[in-house]
Amino acid sequence: MLSDMLFRLKSLFRRNVVEAELAEELHVHMDREVEKLMQRGATREEATRRARLAFGGADKVKEECREARGVHFVETTLQDLRYAARTLGKNPGFTAVIVLTLALGIGACTAVFSIVNAVLLKPFPYPSAERIAFPWRLAPHGMQLGYDEIPWGRSDFLLLARESKAFQFLGAFKGDSFNLTGAGEPVRLNGLRASAGFFPALGVEPILGRTFTAAEDSSGNEHVAILSYSLWREQFGGDPAIIGRSVDMNASAYTIVGVMPAGFTFPRPEEMPGGFTFERDIRVWVPLALPTGPPIPGEDSELAVVGRMSPGISVPQAQAEMNLMTKHLEDFYGGKQAVGWFDARVTPLARQAIGDTRRPLLLIFGAVGVVLLIACSNIASLVLARSLARHREFTLRAALGAGRVRVARQLLTESLLPAVVGGAVGILFAEAAIHFIKVFGPANLPRLQDVALDFRVLAFATGCSLFTGILFGLAPALGMSRINLAESLNQGGQRVSGGGTASQVRKALLVCEVALAFVLVIAAGLLAQSFFHLLSTDPGFRAEHVLTFELSLPEVKYPDQEHIAALYQRAIHSLQSQPGIESAAIVETLPIGGATESTGIRIPDWTPPQSGISSYANYTITSPGFFATVGAPILRGREFLESDAATSMPVTVINDAMAKKFWPGKDPIGKKVGPGSSKYAAATIVGIAADVKHLSLREEPGPEMYVPYTQKVWPSLLTMEVVLRTRLDAASVVAPARIAIHSVDADLPITNVRTLASMVDDSVAQPRFSMLLLGAFGGFALILACIGIYGVISYSVAQRTREIGVRVALGASRLNIFGMVLGQGARLAALGIAVGIAAAFGVTRTMSSFLYEVGPADPATFAIVCAVLLGVASIACYIPARRATRVDPLVALRHD
Amino acid sequence: MAADRIELPQGTLDMLILKTLALEPQHGWAISERVQQISKDALQIQQGSLYPALHRLQRRGWIKAHWGTSDNNRRAKYYELTRAGRKQLAVERTAWRKLTAAVAHILESA
Repeated sequence: MLSDMLFRLKSLFRRNVVEAELAEELHVHMDREVEKLMQRGATREEATRRARLAFGGADKVKEECREARGVHFVETTLQDLRYAARTLGKNPGFTAVIVLTLALGIGACTAVFSIVNAVLLKPFPYPSAERIAFPWRLAPHGMQLGYDEIPWGRSDFLLLARESKAFQFLGAFKGDSFNLTGAGEPVRLNGLRASAGFFPALGVEPILGRTFTAAEDSSGNEHVAILSYSLWREQFGGDPAIIGRSVDMNASAYTIVGVMPAGFTFPRPEEMPGGFTFERDIRVWVPLALPTGPPIPGEDSELAVVGRMSPGISVPQAQAEMNLMTKHLEDFYGGKQAVGWFDARVTPLARQAIGDTRRPLLLIFGAVGVVLLIACSNIASLVLARSLARHREFTLRAALGAGRVRVARQLLTESLLPAVVGGAVGILFAEAAIHFIKVFGPANLPRLQDVALDFRVLAFATGCSLFTGILFGLAPALGMSRINLAESLNQGGQRVSGGGTASQVRKALLVCEVALAFVLVIAAGLLAQSFFHLLSTDPGFRAEHVLTFELSLPEVKYPDQEHIAALYQRAIHSLQSQPGIESAAIVETLPIGGATESTGIRIPDWTPPQSGISSYANYTITSPGFFATVGAPILRGREFLESDAATSMPVTVINDAMAKKFWPGKDPIGKKVGPGSSKYAAATIVGIAADVKHLSLREEPGPEMYVPYTQKVWPSLLTMEVVLRTRLDAASVVAPARIAIHSVDADLPITNVRTLASMVDDSVAQPRFSMLLLGAFGGFALILACIGIYGVISYSVAQRTREIGVRVALGASRLNIFGMVLGQGARLAALGIAVGIAAAFGVTRTMSSFLYEVGPADPATFAIVCAVLLGVASIACYIPARRATRVDPLVALRHD
Repeated sequence: MAADRIELPQGTLDMLILKTLALEPQHGWAISERVQQISKDALQIQQGSLYPALHRLQRRGWIKAHWGTSDNNRRAKYYELTRAGRKQLAVERTAWRKLTAAVAHILESA
């Protein structure tokens, strides 16, 4: 065994010595044989001939000796690699095209896979995360909110928590913010109020202390807090004895009972449904402490609920139980009137976390797969053509004793080498692409910042490159191993018996390539059209020259509506007096700023124009001058005025959608409408405003009513958004705005300073991202198809040089020849386009949810893309066609 | 050349080489000559297959090689049996005898 190893190692590392010795040995053998034969009377020539015959081919013997030494595999691989590197080095253009094609294909694939990996595949940092699910309450049927999920009320949750058996733990939560004082500088913290079941539902244990007890989750006992890891480190220096310490938050003392592990952040705002707003980076948790007792009319519904399903319970089982709960709740609230208000849907964490981002990602993933496919077929075609050109070389090798397997293996090595190099460069590309996506990608892509090249991604990239290598290496290798020696040698020239099939294969590859590229470009074209339709759609306001920021009033200082209203009034006046500010207003939810409040409404003396209309509307508190400031036109009537005060008649402005829904064909001005609860007086409609979009530019705006903050309104006014219309650039008034606000309350922080234009921009980040990526892939596919067409056509021209020469000799004009070559390319491209059209009809229908105001079979897009592809095909054919026209018949006819 | 020469059965070449080298160290050409001499030209070694066999035997540690000077004063690579090679020869000889005896027995009895 040991001698075996030593012998093999010696053979491997002293390869040259061993080879030289073998050569010498064989030489000696030959000489002796020749001597022997000459002694028996043969001439030298005769002796030499007979000795050779008896011995067989020296190179074959050497090869067999190498095999016998047992290092054959490693040695030949090294030899093949050296040879492959040399061959590739001799054709830098060919090599560059292959490596670059592969690198871009693999790079794009890896980058996109990294994102899919982080967003869709990475496991959740919760134990038995598959048991975590969200029982969402669904909006009543027919209510167009742009999202389905609405918050639960206090009594609803208490009933669920009490009755549910399918959920082992149920935790309710809502966002809140806290001013932390007494630990260094005062800081504003994003926090969460969570019921006792919240932490057990997620199954996350604190690293210090404990989570909330049931006793702490009750009114009066809720002054305990759990800190996030980062808050503990930054504000409390990571003090290990922090448990039991008291801190001041919102001017009350809270006892710290726990510290959560690093990286624990729940909920992630981008993973929550559209109707819920949570801040990023929650840093403190306090008990929700819901009061018990019977439901109060007009009570807020503002709870999100997360649950841990009992062991062995499946999502459909939990859903079945929730359906029963729906009945319970309807009965609880008094039957008929409550029907339809408590439907629920159980969404498992995995699906919730992915949300709406799954579909665009799958689209991009599909596109990138298509690009890789095109890249591979391109490379297969290139390698196939080159193998044919090298046919003589391989025939010679076969004649010298190389086996078929041996030749196939060498070809495989030759294709694996660029695949591996391409893969390595591709990983670099991917790194760059991931970095780019992190910087420019949409911020609402969940866990985008977690995206990194990790082991699985690397494995995927390697898999891609190996698969590609084998895919395009094997096809020519298989074709080559069927060489008929004598026939090829006799034929002598480059024209090859197998050439016919091979060029058929290449043409088929090309047709597929063109078809795939066509589908991709169509998809990109449709997305681009949707995107531009989206940008040119009327959002209902003019975003240019509008600056916004948020004001959040401390409740201690502004305990009631009078104080709050007075502060806002002074703030607005102060802002309007600043230079550069044309007008100022406040609003509860900004245009394109996410979901606003919505409420059931009551319309006195009203007969529904048709049955089954659910009476609800979005409900937005704003101030006089709001519509002018954001540039939302008043279609009829008037907007709010300073004279609409607490003492005057309650007024409301409704949007166009509301007017059309509740008073179709009639004039709603002067009619009355109010929130569902009779606590609030019905207001008189004084104006109709254009529909302002809230969630996205795509949305079909629902009914909305606006009320002035100066009149008695529901609900709280503590947090409001300020909008400023500026004379010049919106960003130029940040400093004057700060001065104005501080002149009315020096302690009031200004947060979330943004321009309305940037918000509109952010709202289209996702479609823009999809469009840009798909556009890039489409362009890339076009380039690859172009290379493919060029390769096939120029090869065909080279092959037909003689034929072209004959044609010219027989009187064909340059133009005829040019047309012939161009026609050949155009026929192939047209065939590809025909296949592509059929495929595109199938593919684009699955894209309809990404499209906006453009059909999946938009004839204009299809026509333009057809023209583009034909154009690209002609450009690709131009150079070989020109070359064909320059064929000299004399040279061509002599040309072997 | 004699027409009644028989092809060497598969696997017996190694044994013949070992047997040839058991007498004295030899170089490649001499081995093939010797095998033919001893067998009175009845066996024909395909000369080309001799060298791969020598490499194979070396790898197994049954023979070793060193460079020496041949009878006509030329540098030649000499092969000699190792101790393991000698054992192997004994093993193969026994196996061969058993095999030929068994085959002969079957052929005669039929």
